[in-house]
Amino acid sequence: MKKKTILVLLMISAIFLSGCWDMVEVNQRLFVSSIGIDLNKGNAKEKYIVTYVYPNINSIGKNASEKTKKFTVTTTSDAIFQAGSEFSTQVQFPFYYKHLKVLVIGEDLAKESKLVRQAIDGLNRDTKINSKVQILVAEGTAKDILESKPPQDQITDGTIYNILKNNKTASRFTPATLIEVIRDMDTAGVTIIPRIKLKGKDIKIFGGAIFKNYKLIGWIDEIENRALSLIKNETKAELIDAPYDDTTISYKITSSNSNKKVEVGEKIKVDLSLRTEGYLQEYILEENVTSYDDKVLKEMEKAVEKKLKKEIEDTINIAQHKYNADIIGIGEHLSKFEPKAWNNIKADWDQIFPQVEFNVKVDAKIRRTGLVR
Amino acid sequence: MDKKNKISGLQVKALVITTVIGISILSLPSTIATILDNSGWVAIILGGLVTVPFIIMIDKTIELYPGKTSPQISREVLGPVISNLFLIIFLCYLILFLAYMHRSAAEVIKAYLLETTPTEVIIITMLLAISYMARGQIQDLARMALIIYPIIIGFVVFLILVNLPSMDYTNIYPLFNINFKAIPKGIWTIFFSFAGYELLYFFLPYVEDKEGALKYSLKAMLIVTLVYLIVFFVTLSQFGIHQLKREIWPGIAVTRVVDLPGLFLENLDGIVIAIWIMVIFGTIGPILYASGIILAELFKTKTHKLFILPLLPIVYIISLLPDNLFETYEKLGSILNYFALVSIVIMPTIVFIVAYMKKRREKA
Repeated sequence: MKKKTILVLLMISAIFLSGCWDMVEVNQRLFVSSIGIDLNKGNAKEKYIVTYVYPNINSIGKNASEKTKKFTVTTTSDAIFQAGSEFSTQVQFPFYYKHLKVLVIGEDLAKESKLVRQAIDGLNRDTKINSKVQILVAEGTAKDILESKPPQDQITDGTIYNILKNNKTASRFTPATLIEVIRDMDTAGVTIIPRIKLKGKDIKIFGGAIFKNYKLIGWIDEIENRALSLIKNETKAELIDAPYDDTTISYKITSSNSNKKVEVGEKIKVDLSLRTEGYLQEYILEENVTSYDDKVLKEMEKAVEKKLKKEIEDTINIAQHKYNADIIGIGEHLSKFEPKAWNNIKADWDQIFPQVEFNVKVDAKIRRTGLVR
Repeated sequence: MDKKNKISGLQVKALVITTVIGISILSLPSTIATILDNSGWVAIILGGLVTVPFIIMIDKTIELYPGKTSPQISREVLGPVISNLFLIIFLCYLILFLAYMHRSAAEVIKAYLLETTPTEVIIITMLLAISYMARGQIQDLARMALIIYPIIIGFVVFLILVNLPSMDYTNIYPLFNINFKAIPKGIWTIFFSFAGYELLYFFLPYVEDKEGALKYSLKAMLIVTLVYLIVFFVTLSQFGIHQLKREIWPGIAVTRVVDLPGLFLENLDGIVIAIWIMVIFGTIGPILYASGIILAELFKTKTHKLFILPLLPIVYIISLLPDNLFETYEKLGSILNYFALVSIVIMPTIVFIVAYMKKRREKA
């Protein structure tokens, strides 16, 4: 009797323990890898134009049966995820968002603070979307950029993601993930999101878009972005060209460290000091030894310092007077280290920031000169 | 009392840690940040300190009556009527606690892991699993705790390691901009994240080494406080104060922000929550066991096993009463807080004072 009961129980449990009855094969899922959102002008109800990009799984692997690397679908919609259900009328399989890597915001949409907020909140709230989604702002429409077919197109992640991910030799742009954008907006109210543009068939990521309260207020270019990333300690490596004698020297920065000192008095004074270390990448070939001389090296350092100082001061000038956006992070610094003073001036920060006095100090060191003297 | 059924000091430490650390650690950083902003760490430390006198009182009470279980002590100290009243309140508290834990655990699991599984199914499976644990003896619970204890420590180490590269340490500033008016409210809220130490009533009578027991329990509380502090600071520096307030379960969401080198693993949240379920079992198992023990005392039966299964439907129904997550945390949570205040603050104090007076009178 007991044996029979156990047998019956075992058989019943087999029914409940079979876990794979509702499985979905990997080629029956569409993994959205990028989403682009644009403004649908003149339509009050469906304000977004949403573009999804998903890789063609059949084109991956050694014996790929298809050549098309990616598919794009576009629709008008009133929310990002709403678009997903609208696409369900066009595509065979359901979408999965767990591997979403890139969000491209179109220029026109970026100027609508409320719509950007709505989109960012949707991503932040979703349980499947990774907080490391890279965000970019397109010059023009996001749809054009996502539909472009760059010659060196990668298979799954796509060119955009690879460009962002492998940004190790320069700081022409600074990648911004979803969580970083939100964090910056919370603490500083301003953030820089990399800018993406179509150049012929190729896509080009450079500089950045200045966002203030989730609204696009202006662009910065590569050189300004480089100066900013030096100030913010985000530079991994960078090459600086500085005029010296009557030629140009190239100085490779291998490590940099910047410090802010903010004094709150009648006027707010900021001491920015930047220390960089690096080596000489390029000078000029002559019969004599050119760079193996302390005096020459010191002069070169001076030239680099002068150049960097000018770049940084120009960038600060643009931030203060052209856009009035605290992209340098002075307000954030105050809120963390001088909370009492910050509480008093927080409300008028937009009026105070252009009057902040900056004092930039650059200390560049050339440690090595490469293989030759 | 069964002679063989003894636990060691280390096991008490593991039991206290696994019982106290449960589901609340996942939401604690954002709860405390909402009240105290960056200075939430003050409340965590003070909350940990507040538990110390109660732990000492529980320990002393049990020392005064060697060889007796806690319900027996309370009967001897307070007389049968008041003692039964106390036990019933304590039982209600434990049942509410169980329901609350089950519901909030189910919500986390649903959000991060089993999205299409009905809440009911998650709760029923959890209940059945712990009912097996709770039907065992104290020693079984202690062994389970010793397995789960390294998971907690491992989780904390893992959390620090994976977050180190991408943390922004300046986010923890301003550290000393403390809003003193909000501190009492902060402690009141945080104190219930330390709830679970009251189960020492059920652990301590079985400890072999009576003198060392207090030391081990206090050490356990120290570890719990440290774990809370670490999780608070890691999430704060990763999210910044505003996003931290926005997150519901920052303790788990923080694993979604990190990049593991080599990118061989992404979206760690599912894996982490799967491991964390074991830690949740470490909390709810002993609570169900304690409820069984109290019922056995109330109905004067020899074993507590009888009452474990009948308790399950009650817990199940209560856990499904709240309509949504907000009601779970705010309504069920605040009712629970008042029960907790009575059962883990007021009752231990009364029992200790009366027991102490009685013993002194007997001596005199």
